[in-house]
Amino acid sequence: MIRRFLIIILVISLLGCATTKPYDFSKFNAAKPKSILIVPIVNRSVEVTAPDYCLSTITIPLAERGYYVFPVNMVKRLLEDDGLSDADLVHHASVEKLANLFGADAVLYVIINQWDAKYMVLSSQVTVDLSYVIKDGKTGDSLWEHNEKMVYVPQNQSTGNPIGDLIVMAVNAAVTKAAPNYIPLAREANNKAFAFKKGQGIPPGPYAIDK
Amino acid sequence: MKNTNYCIIAVTILMITGCAHTQYSWQNYDQKLYNHYKNPATYDQFVEDLKNIMEKGETSGKIPPGIYAEYGYALYEKGNFPEAIKYFKKEQDKWPESNVIMTKMINNAQKKTAQTGKQKESLKSNKSQVKEVAK
Repeated sequence: MIRRFLIIILVISLLGCATTKPYDFSKFNAAKPKSILIVPIVNRSVEVTAPDYCLSTITIPLAERGYYVFPVNMVKRLLEDDGLSDADLVHHASVEKLANLFGADAVLYVIINQWDAKYMVLSSQVTVDLSYVIKDGKTGDSLWEHNEKMVYVPQNQSTGNPIGDLIVMAVNAAVTKAAPNYIPLAREANNKAFAFKKGQGIPPGPYAIDK
Repeated sequence: MKNTNYCIIAVTILMITGCAHTQYSWQNYDQKLYNHYKNPATYDQFVEDLKNIMEKGETSGKIPPGIYAEYGYALYEKGNFPEAIKYFKKEQDKWPESNVIMTKMINNAQKKTAQTGKQKESLKSNKSQVKEVAK
């Protein structure tokens, strides 16, 4: 009896832990950024092309959330001209100085933790894992932090024929291996992170239609 | 089992198309930037793409932030400073948030225009000097 009671308490306490706390947006709302500067992306994956490819996916969801987003390619080139072509260097530079240089209210830092495709003989798996931090351009304080991990496993539709299934699976794995497509995953990660829906992601910016 | 698969596909399509309503006319800007990074040799194509996005955005009145500036910067890199200034000003007028950086870019472009003007003059005077020497 006591044992049962304890189990119930344990389950309740576990459930209590599982409910996610709503994000504390008090700092974000106090800072009320109108414009966001996306700086070059730090790469912790082994894929050298990942940062540029990933950079191309950030602007749209952020602008659609209602913020003025500085043109990413121009920003990248200007930083390169200033000797800041290394993303790590940019991420370690003073937030206030960076923001000042462009007149940005806030700066978005993105880190690629994972950007890879794993191949087994008959199946494969593509993973994109990104960390986001928005910092206040005036104080350098962190206003919002988020992590998003997307995993894609190609779905193998059964043909009803076991040998046929094996062939389909092998072909799927080979296709993924030849050209793993990270972009849809990166887009989905961004959409989920910034979110178009109410009460999710970051608060809507000044140009947001749906507030 | 197959029915559930169809159901999942149908719902996914509905969700995707539901999300596709955007407030700006992007014209696959992300895909075009990606193509440019994937194959930097196609820079001219990217500039042409930016021009298309800009023109379509002007027609629909839904031009996305940053497009005027990005196009202006492409012209700036090609050395067409007077035209670059034109688009930097458009960005500045449309988006007050861009004022600081656009003011800097316009100043830079003006300086470069003056420089290229001087270079042309010095080229001319060099030529006339050469002519005089030849005489």
